[in-house]
Amino acid sequence: MPQFEQVSVFGSLIFWSVISFAILFFMLKKFAFPPILAALDDREKKIRGDIEASEKLKQDVEKIKIDLEEKLAAAHGKAEAIVQLAQDEAKKIQEKIVQETEAKVKQVQREAEQEIQSSRSKLLQEIRSYTAALTIASTEKFLKKALDDSDKKRLVDESIEQVIQELEKNQQN
Amino acid sequence: MESPLHHFEVHTIVPIHIGGLDLSINNAVVAMWVGLAVICGMFILPARKGLSLVPGKLQSVLEIAVEFIRNLVYEFIGEEEGRKYVPFIASLFLFILACNLIGLVPGSYTITSQLVVTGVFATGIFILTLVIGFSKHGMGFLGILVPPGIPKVLIPVMIPIEIISMLARPISLAVRLFANMTAGHTVLAVLFGLAMTGPLWLGWLPFGFTVVINGLEIAIAFIQAYIFTTLTCVYIGDVIKLH
Repeated sequence: MPQFEQVSVFGSLIFWSVISFAILFFMLKKFAFPPILAALDDREKKIRGDIEASEKLKQDVEKIKIDLEEKLAAAHGKAEAIVQLAQDEAKKIQEKIVQETEAKVKQVQREAEQEIQSSRSKLLQEIRSYTAALTIASTEKFLKKALDDSDKKRLVDESIEQVIQELEKNQQN
Repeated sequence: MESPLHHFEVHTIVPIHIGGLDLSINNAVVAMWVGLAVICGMFILPARKGLSLVPGKLQSVLEIAVEFIRNLVYEFIGEEEGRKYVPFIASLFLFILACNLIGLVPGSYTITSQLVVTGVFATGIFILTLVIGFSKHGMGFLGILVPPGIPKVLIPVMIPIEIISMLARPISLAVRLFANMTAGHTVLAVLFGLAMTGPLWLGWLPFGFTVVINGLEIAIAFIQAYIFTTLTCVYIGDVIKLH
């Protein structure tokens, strides 16, 4: 195998490979690795920072959401209370109106009844007074003359006629 | 037919001799340099130009590579201790990966198929673990030779076993990478040799295999670089944590 037979090149292979490695190590350590490692660290830091920030934002959003939900629930409750209040008020007003109307109707009814009553009593009074007048007039006629039956009949008719005339006259007045 | 091991031969391009030492630049070194130049260009140019917070395609690749190694280091060494080893481990991974991949280009050379090269790196890592261990724990580092919870009578037996297992680490590290690279390229060379020497009606079969094996070799280039760096992390992690 040439790797074991070419002993004369061992010195140069060892020398140049060690020197080359040393130069490569020096160059990479000085120029390549620090910026690359720094870039990796920077990105790691940025990603970690971004994740933490987004986590914080998420928590904030959660807090705001809970807050809003509470406010919404409170507003909902308030609205319901307002609607309930309005309904109660409307019911009260309705009941009041019904009561008032009923009272008015009752009053009107009462007044009408009173009017009817008074008209009736007035009418009865009139009838009574006319009946009395009729009776007085008839009796007067009976007492003034001895009359035959036809006379009687005529006289009664006259009386009635007189009463009717008076009634009509009254009504016209 | 050409020997399938022929392409492992090293040819001198620029002869350099200093004090009796042969430091000539050869085809293996040039191939390695090409690979390393690609790595340097890929990593240093975008980094110098400035990286954006939202990465483009190339930046994504670089970041994935570095993050992958960083996670590997953190997993085996720990985040606190491992931070300072990330550049070294990442450079090691990229060096081996570049050498493995550049070797798959026809006509180039895989320097990691040289046992002396993988051996030097494995030995260097072994010495590094010893240095880290002693500098961190002082003489208490020798406690790594005594696994926790074993009966005292077994300690004289365990210490030699542990020493052997410690010494086996760099050897296995070096041989694994060397053997994988050598075997893969040898298989490719054999199959390609068959394809070239056989008649066309038969030759397409081994040629088809070279295509498949070449795909496999790309995977192996990544896997071996990954294994080498993972084991390096494990060894460094072991001497830092002491069991």
